[in-house]
Amino acid sequence: MSEKVNLNVNGIDIESDPNKLLIEACEDSGIHIPRFCWHKRLDPVGMCRMCLVEVETPRGKMLVPSCTTEVSDEMVVDTESDVVKKAQEGVLEFLLINHPLDCPICDKAGECPLQDQTMAYGPGESRFVEEKRHFEKPINISEIILLDRERCILCARCTRFSDEISGDPLIEFIQRGNKTEVNTFPNEPFKSYFSGNTVQICPVGALTSTSYRFKARPWDLKSTRSTCNGCSMGCSIELNSSQNKMLRILGVDNDAVNQGWLCDKGRYNFEYLNSDSRLKTPLKKIDNELVEIEIQDVYSELSEVIKDRQTKVNFLLGSNLTNEDYVAFREFSEIISQSEKSFYLNDDKLHPGLFGENVDLAKVDDLNSSDAIVVWAEDLKEKIPVLYLRIRQAVKNGVKLVVFGHTNETLSDIADVFYGKETVSENFEIVKDISKLKEIKDLVIGKNITAILGKSTPHQSDTSVTKLFEFLNSNSNSKVLNAYSKGNTYGAFQTLENVKGLNDFVNEISEENTDLLFIVGADPVGRSVYSNQIKSIIEGLDTVVALDNFNHETSELANFLIPMSSTLGEKEGTFTNIEFRTSRIDKLVPSPGQTVSDWEFMTSLMNFAGLTVETNSLESLNKKAYENLDSSLSPVFDNLDKPSNLDGMVNVSKPKISSTDNNSNEAKFFTGEKLYGDSATERHSDSISLLGSKKYIEVSEGVVEKYNLTSSKCILIQDEFEVAVRYEVNKSFPNDLIYIPTNRRELNKFDFSREIMIIPSQVKEALNVN
Amino acid sequence: MKETILLTKHMRDNPEDSHLIDSYEKNNGYSTAKKTILESSPEKILEEIKASNIRGRGGAGFPTGVKWGFLAEDEDRYLVINADESEPGTFKDRILLERDPHQLIEGIIITCFSANIKEAFIYIRGEYAKPARRVQQAVEQAYQKGYLGKNIFGSEINLDIVVHLGAGAYICGEETALLNSLEGRRGEPRLKPPYFPAVKGLYMKPTLVNNVETISSVPWIIENGGEEYNKLGVEGSTGTRIFSLSGHVNNPGNYEIEMGSPFGEFVETLGGGIRNNKKVKAYIPGGASAPWFRGDQLDIKMTIDDVANNNSMLGSGAVVMMDEDTNLVSAAKSIVSFFAHESCGQCTPCREGTTWLEMILDRIASGRGRTSDMNLLLDVCDNISPGLSWPPKMTTICPLGPSAVSPITSLMNDFRDEVESLIPTKVLL
Repeated sequence: MSEKVNLNVNGIDIESDPNKLLIEACEDSGIHIPRFCWHKRLDPVGMCRMCLVEVETPRGKMLVPSCTTEVSDEMVVDTESDVVKKAQEGVLEFLLINHPLDCPICDKAGECPLQDQTMAYGPGESRFVEEKRHFEKPINISEIILLDRERCILCARCTRFSDEISGDPLIEFIQRGNKTEVNTFPNEPFKSYFSGNTVQICPVGALTSTSYRFKARPWDLKSTRSTCNGCSMGCSIELNSSQNKMLRILGVDNDAVNQGWLCDKGRYNFEYLNSDSRLKTPLKKIDNELVEIEIQDVYSELSEVIKDRQTKVNFLLGSNLTNEDYVAFREFSEIISQSEKSFYLNDDKLHPGLFGENVDLAKVDDLNSSDAIVVWAEDLKEKIPVLYLRIRQAVKNGVKLVVFGHTNETLSDIADVFYGKETVSENFEIVKDISKLKEIKDLVIGKNITAILGKSTPHQSDTSVTKLFEFLNSNSNSKVLNAYSKGNTYGAFQTLENVKGLNDFVNEISEENTDLLFIVGADPVGRSVYSNQIKSIIEGLDTVVALDNFNHETSELANFLIPMSSTLGEKEGTFTNIEFRTSRIDKLVPSPGQTVSDWEFMTSLMNFAGLTVETNSLESLNKKAYENLDSSLSPVFDNLDKPSNLDGMVNVSKPKISSTDNNSNEAKFFTGEKLYGDSATERHSDSISLLGSKKYIEVSEGVVEKYNLTSSKCILIQDEFEVAVRYEVNKSFPNDLIYIPTNRRELNKFDFSREIMIIPSQVKEALNVN
Repeated sequence: MKETILLTKHMRDNPEDSHLIDSYEKNNGYSTAKKTILESSPEKILEEIKASNIRGRGGAGFPTGVKWGFLAEDEDRYLVINADESEPGTFKDRILLERDPHQLIEGIIITCFSANIKEAFIYIRGEYAKPARRVQQAVEQAYQKGYLGKNIFGSEINLDIVVHLGAGAYICGEETALLNSLEGRRGEPRLKPPYFPAVKGLYMKPTLVNNVETISSVPWIIENGGEEYNKLGVEGSTGTRIFSLSGHVNNPGNYEIEMGSPFGEFVETLGGGIRNNKKVKAYIPGGASAPWFRGDQLDIKMTIDDVANNNSMLGSGAVVMMDEDTNLVSAAKSIVSFFAHESCGQCTPCREGTTWLEMILDRIASGRGRTSDMNLLLDVCDNISPGLSWPPKMTTICPLGPSAVSPITSLMNDFRDEVESLIPTKVLL
């Protein structure tokens, strides 16, 4: 730690790290300086002038903005002098002269920095008698964000966020002086995966979201801190509810993880909780019809299946479960089944990962402290959006970035080197000698590297990633962040033995080895590339129990359909993220109808069947989950609830993943998932329900030529099945490559082991006419 | 009182073609630059500039030699000529650009030689179409002759000049806003620190930003010696300066004079006196940002320090005379409107305050003022420029906001009666 500097603020001696901004140093010492434009995570701009303080200089006392002034030794500062107070009053009066007084209908009222600071530092009344500045009241700047320019105080937080943090500067200042306004560019909406953050950091009600608009008053909100389970990043969130309805999710500044930011899907994909379509009563399939049934009857019928404890049971588990849920399934399987068990995760192809003895596992924070980051994984912007932000942050701080492959083209704009089609072939093999790549020599060899490695697509061979890892491991000081993207995958790794992916599911599961299949929070029929195979396997089984929030393509195939509590605000538990950081999932709203937590269902079922269960409470499951860890460091509730551990506790473990490699495919396409898709929860979250509705593919330039594509649409055909899609040209793709996002409706229904035909859409239209 | 002709000599002698390179060279043009490049050393040039004691002609009056001395070491350093002449009342750079662009280019060559700079930019205000065309043509001619480009004058030295047009923003005359604009960003003044472009300027590289007139003076200084230049004018305000005289005078225009005479003498002799033999009610000594002087203050001497000691500034050398018939509230309003229109919008006090001041003045000027407006005006000013002192303190990043305060404090300090007389005291029933 470098030496501290000493300064005097308001007559009090305080200590600070050097190079800190005055406003931060004061804040750390409990002296609050009012501000609008300054935000801890953004570069200072010194625009609002609210944080002016008096600093003694050789030329006398000077008013300086504390958000742009660094502390220095023996600095003498006054934050409360008459001159400062006059300036603060002046700034607030200036801000208010053109600010509409529509607080009674403004979402921000009650948690509004402008209101609060006016009360604390502002003048009592306005001396402005002229007409205020007018703009058209809220304009839609995207499908989910509205902008009220009359309320805007031009603090540049939103514009800086989209420029510095998310890297999609789609909102900017236009005009100047008194006419300055924030706006989007003509015909370019604020279409950002991170736009919701601007609503959260807006110090007034200028930016609002369609999701929360007019839904509640802040003083009516209940809130709790929890963890987002949308992807493996595990962002810290605050849940807000009013009248037992979940209404809003905010990002919490967890320095090690999300630093306050969230992706829009994480922020808005909660509205399904309040959907009328949610499953609220247990259903049973009778004569191909799902009919309501009492939960007691479910227990009694299933008891018959399991009571002899010889049941061959298997599990297909989603990634939106808590660690305690996973433990409950594990305990259940150990009690009722004597055979070897496998847990299949809802992942097309589970990469075995890099967890060997020679692997040093990285934490997210290592990104900032390494010399370079090497990425070869799924598209991180689509799959782990906030990790993408953390990479951007590291690059902004001077860390070099090396990106491989066609999937992370979204990082190519900030990458020091992007190895595209010349280096990586269409079946995702590095075709050049890595050690001979010039930039690798300069940026990687002998350096401290954080490698984010995972499968770019289910069709990629395991060995291709391993090869890159081995090179890095023997030529640099490298740490690895395994890039599994789905929800609580790492929680499953920590709590379950012998986890597999869907490719193994389709090869292994049959009537012979499965009497009872649990499908929990997973819709592989709706999303997996093995959709058709999985469907026919499920249909062939005797007893299938689905626990889910919705009746969807997979759960509708089950014999019993149990309504499940959502992990978002309806149950308690723990979640483990990409760096094995375990943090709290908390409950805020009651579970609707007869919904139950997964662990409750499993425990009750065993109780009903008269089987003795040790782990019959959430607490005991939680303890069981971490029984192998040192008790003082293990993320049991007692430890996690300590204020010092709110950001989570890291317990790196090396899971065993049984995975069969598939040969890299010869077909000229690869699959993946976009951030927004048409999963059941997304379809029932109104704000974002349409964002993933567009059916589209990405194609190389070669494909456009080869298939004579001219309009913006084309048609994919396989046997009798055909889908009309939009296509976008991705110039980084090699020759004939096509990308198909399987989380868009119908697009996962192709048999991806065979050829898919493409024809231009107007040809088809012509045929229809004839 | 007579003019002292140094910078405007060539254009006066050759009114037909002073902007063309042949004419310029016929009159010994580029000989100083050539000598400098081939025979002199950077240190010698800097010494001459320091000896001349020339102070910047853009407005702040910073000693040029000192500024050059600040320039930090770096592989890439730049010279930026501030030709964004936009201070209302100022039109001196215009003739230098339009009628003697080669003198400027020669100055740039010498300056860059002295500061070891290989790339210079001339940032010309967007409204100066003809001057910009002439400068561009002159730059091209100089390239053709080999005075710019690679190995200039046959030496090892390379120098490129880029001519760039602004888009019509007064604030881009503020040097850091100019640099932002040149980089393609919004023309907004940068945060200080870093205080000096000489340390972190264009593309965050050490950059000299100098006014057109300053750099146009360089060839004369080098040709005749810094000492010689220092003899002109008075201590603290050496050399000649082109003053732009306007307002209610008989002979408005640009006059190149040595500094040191009283404003009154300047107006009476070169300016031909006030129109229709009227008296001066007030005058602006150095551009719209400068606080006004009263008609009884015409004996103040035209030097940087004398004007500063009387709480105003010589600024960019724009002298505006207002005769006894002038409606000073309207005059102030017109200036405040200008600043409100030109505020970049970054800082709250300037963005909101200047427009509010404009509204209040407009109300008073049109007979809709309230007695409370007198204090309101001053208090709003105080919130932009605390203490209303000179030189101004600021609650803003740059001095544009306080510039709008200057005419109002002048008005309220010296002509309060005139403002009050416009405010209706009786309520009509």
